[in-house]
Amino acid sequence: MASSTISCNASDLIPLLSGGANATATAAAAEFICSRFETVSGKFTDAGYAIDNTYLLFSAYLVFSMQLGFAMLCAGSVRAKNTMNIMLTNVIDAAAGGLFYYLFGFAFAYGAPSNGFIGKHFFGMSDFPKPTFDYPFFLYQWTFAIAAAGITSGSIAERTQFVAYLIYSSFLTGLVYPIVSHWFWSSDGWASPARSDNLLFQSGVIDFAGSGVVHMVGGIAGLWGALIEGPRIGRFEQRSKPLTLRGHSATLVVLGTFLLWFGWYGFNPGSFAIIFKSYGTSPGSSFYGQWSAVGRTAVTTTLAGCTAALTTLFGKRLIDGYWNVTDVCNGLLGGFAAITSGCSVVEPWAAVICGFVAAWVLMGFNKLADKLQFDDPLEAAQLHGGCGAWGIIFTGLFADKTYVSEIYGGDPNRPFGLFMGGGGRLLAAHVVQIVVIVGWVSVTMGTLFFVLHKMELLRIPSEDEVAGMDPTSHGGLAYMYTEEEIKNGIMVRGVGGEDDHVQGHVGVL
Amino acid sequence: MSGSLSCSAADLAVLLGPNATAAADYICGQLSTVNNKFTDVAFAVDNTYLLFSAYLVFSMQLGFAMLCAGSVRAKNTMNIMLTNVLDAAAGGLFYYLFGYAFAFGSPSNGFIGKHNFGLKDFPSASADYSNFLYQWAFAIAAAGITSGSIAERTQFVAYLIYSSFLTGFVYPVVSHWFWSADGWASPFRTDGDLLFSTGAIDFAGSGVVHMVGGIAGLWGALIEGPRLGRFDNGGRAIALRGHSASLVVLGTFLLWFGWYGFNPGSFNKILVTYESGTINGQWSAVGRTAVTTTLAGCTAALTTLFGKRLLSGHWNVSDVCNGLLGGFAAITGGCSVVEPWAAIICGFVAALVLLGCNKLAEKLKYDDPLEAAQLHGGCGAWGLIFTALFAREKYLNQIYGEKPGRPHGLFMGGGGKLLGAQLIQILVITGWVSATMGTLFFILKKMKLLRISAEDEMAGMDMTRHGGFAYMYYDDDESHKAIQLRKVEHRSPSPSGVTTTSV
Repeated sequence: MASSTISCNASDLIPLLSGGANATATAAAAEFICSRFETVSGKFTDAGYAIDNTYLLFSAYLVFSMQLGFAMLCAGSVRAKNTMNIMLTNVIDAAAGGLFYYLFGFAFAYGAPSNGFIGKHFFGMSDFPKPTFDYPFFLYQWTFAIAAAGITSGSIAERTQFVAYLIYSSFLTGLVYPIVSHWFWSSDGWASPARSDNLLFQSGVIDFAGSGVVHMVGGIAGLWGALIEGPRIGRFEQRSKPLTLRGHSATLVVLGTFLLWFGWYGFNPGSFAIIFKSYGTSPGSSFYGQWSAVGRTAVTTTLAGCTAALTTLFGKRLIDGYWNVTDVCNGLLGGFAAITSGCSVVEPWAAVICGFVAAWVLMGFNKLADKLQFDDPLEAAQLHGGCGAWGIIFTGLFADKTYVSEIYGGDPNRPFGLFMGGGGRLLAAHVVQIVVIVGWVSVTMGTLFFVLHKMELLRIPSEDEVAGMDPTSHGGLAYMYTEEEIKNGIMVRGVGGEDDHVQGHVGVL
Repeated sequence: MSGSLSCSAADLAVLLGPNATAAADYICGQLSTVNNKFTDVAFAVDNTYLLFSAYLVFSMQLGFAMLCAGSVRAKNTMNIMLTNVLDAAAGGLFYYLFGYAFAFGSPSNGFIGKHNFGLKDFPSASADYSNFLYQWAFAIAAAGITSGSIAERTQFVAYLIYSSFLTGFVYPVVSHWFWSADGWASPFRTDGDLLFSTGAIDFAGSGVVHMVGGIAGLWGALIEGPRLGRFDNGGRAIALRGHSASLVVLGTFLLWFGWYGFNPGSFNKILVTYESGTINGQWSAVGRTAVTTTLAGCTAALTTLFGKRLLSGHWNVSDVCNGLLGGFAAITGGCSVVEPWAAIICGFVAALVLLGCNKLAEKLKYDDPLEAAQLHGGCGAWGLIFTALFAREKYLNQIYGEKPGRPHGLFMGGGGKLLGAQLIQILVITGWVSATMGTLFFILKKMKLLRISAEDEMAGMDMTRHGGFAYMYYDDDESHKAIQLRKVEHRSPSPSGVTTTSV
């Protein structure tokens, strides 16, 4: 008869072996056998750590590659004269984020034991590692923190002083975001689904990889930044319709989008943190385990993005009359932002619905933004804020009972998706999440942006904006061309140019 | 002393003397638990391995998008990149709905699968979500290949139609034949005779993926004809150069990177021992496969470098990139069953095959902007032949099951049966893809849905169908046609005006 543990108690074994006369020999035999089992058990624990840490580390590297993806997406979406500026903000998000998240961000987020609002251990990673908090976990959470800050930079691109970026980014990564992640992801957080007691609405909020915690936080912060500093020059100056300030490279937009898609396979499935866990009643009893859930999460993520992309393709063809690459890319990303909340707890067919609706949500918010003369160069507030919020609602509707139970444990009859027969409590908790995130981020980041605005540290002067931030604040243009015409490239005619130090150039992106 | 953890209570009780039954049960129970935990370990390890391999293969979509973008003219950049995005997106939906079922829905017949539509009854003991995702990544790779052949002159609607058909039906059926447990030509077949006592050996898809994509592209490009200006009135070939070598190299390197998921990942599992307790296990074979892949690509690249230097007199980056990829396409069929030295031969010949196919294409006035049919079709076919010549019996037995007297590489003393099976594979793939995709492209042409108009082709598809140029390096308050370099005033007395080069 097999047991589910490999524990071995010599005192249990000795009487069983005492059929023989020699008690000493029997005891020795029992010790021998039990110690071997203990070793085996230890080795399994080791194997588990090795497997799970490998899994989590490589997931972290994938999420980190999203920084590169977002940098390229941002670069391609802004005008050439602002390319270096936006890319530098992306580099610095990662760099400054690294430092501040290490110093206190991670502590505020995960420093347990603590209270429901904020964490208070592990400042500067003191007392690290612990059984549940090893370095890969820190690194993984860091990559998430810098993702949130990156999102915001898109909303305020092309017109924001670099000093303002440094300030908002440190504040967001070091304080605002970690606190939100504490509420929903730490075992202490007041709205966490993993709490041992006093679950919000007996449910807690299920925001698996962060439609709210990451995307809404980044998006709402961006919303305030963009609102307070106002639209870019020229964007809404004509009566008839908004002027599209086109990005300078669709290639970079596609490159960035694909890299984000690639990295999302770390963002969503990686949020399990642990892959070595069977869901069977006893070891080896089932091929079905957390590894399956991880794979399923990669599949739901994929389907939501694919559906959102296709919906946007055809939607835009109907509305605007042509096949629009950059809009399809944004739609794709909106699908991912939406599925991020429920990716692990819904069926693949539900993910298709998620992506379909996300595409329309994004298109709708973009129309609204135009009407309200809200200018967001990356549509970040609409995409991450809007589709993120939809994703939270979606999870409240479609979360599957079995998956919720497998992943979060607790009461097997805990609330789940409304449309799946799980009642309204999960949805209610999710509405609370949306309200609370909007409120907290508005109060903190909105105030910060307002203060920066008042201190004239937010927006750049108009002359700088017209000339472009690269020449005025970053030492020159990002790109250089030869002056001769290229037959099948970009035709460039030199105009004047006594200060041209033209060096040969390599291929141009 | 057996190597398994099995434990017979009856045997143990005898050894332990009277009243030892309970002890025996106890011990055996614990050992049984240990055994079961190893099963769980294997699931965790293998799924991790396969999932990350799938993500790598997915990154090849990005690589191919950049390769395509760099290889076409700037005025068509957005078009070709959109086709790559849509290959992945439409492929996701259709492969989920029925593509995977046609490919792997067992139990079934030799021709096509018939279970797991919409991932019903999933996961099972034989396939988990990681398998699905991995196979999806392969399916969209095949569709991506074809888009290269018909670039710069094909209506977007035609892309949507051919891509869905290829990913949802044509490709899955081929993969069923050669990769499923039921397929009539599969070396994994359990319920019938192996083709020529071996089945076709196409480990990661020189035929199933590369030839399918390449032959489909061949028909598309043939039926719609060459790009305007490609062959002048005298029949001479004019190079329509791609607009960015940087993108070509970026794309090539990303494809190389992703190939480490494409080839080694095709083992599906890594925690499989070939000889318990020793280093001799599938993890080695996985590593060896990564090595053969690398060597074939490297050799093909070097061969192309020197070959082109001799032929055209200069060191040609984009040709070297294509040669490199041709080496990869060729080794893909036999990467797991040949020795590293053989991989060098594979790459060397692949480079020559590509050069030869390209020369032939020019002679026949066949225009393929990405050389996709020549590279994936031609080098893919060579890869299947190569496998038939160099496959080692020992590796075949480890991967496909012990079979005494198993046919293997002709040059390794394995007889001609494997070569026979590979030739069948080449013929059958060519026939099937020609019949299906050739017909489709022909119908699209008859319905005037295939090629764009001459005016659109001259102006460029981005302007006419995708909302404008891909690139805008200067603010446009003037026409799109010419971009004027404006002097920019600098505020601070910084040294020379311009700083870095572009990416």
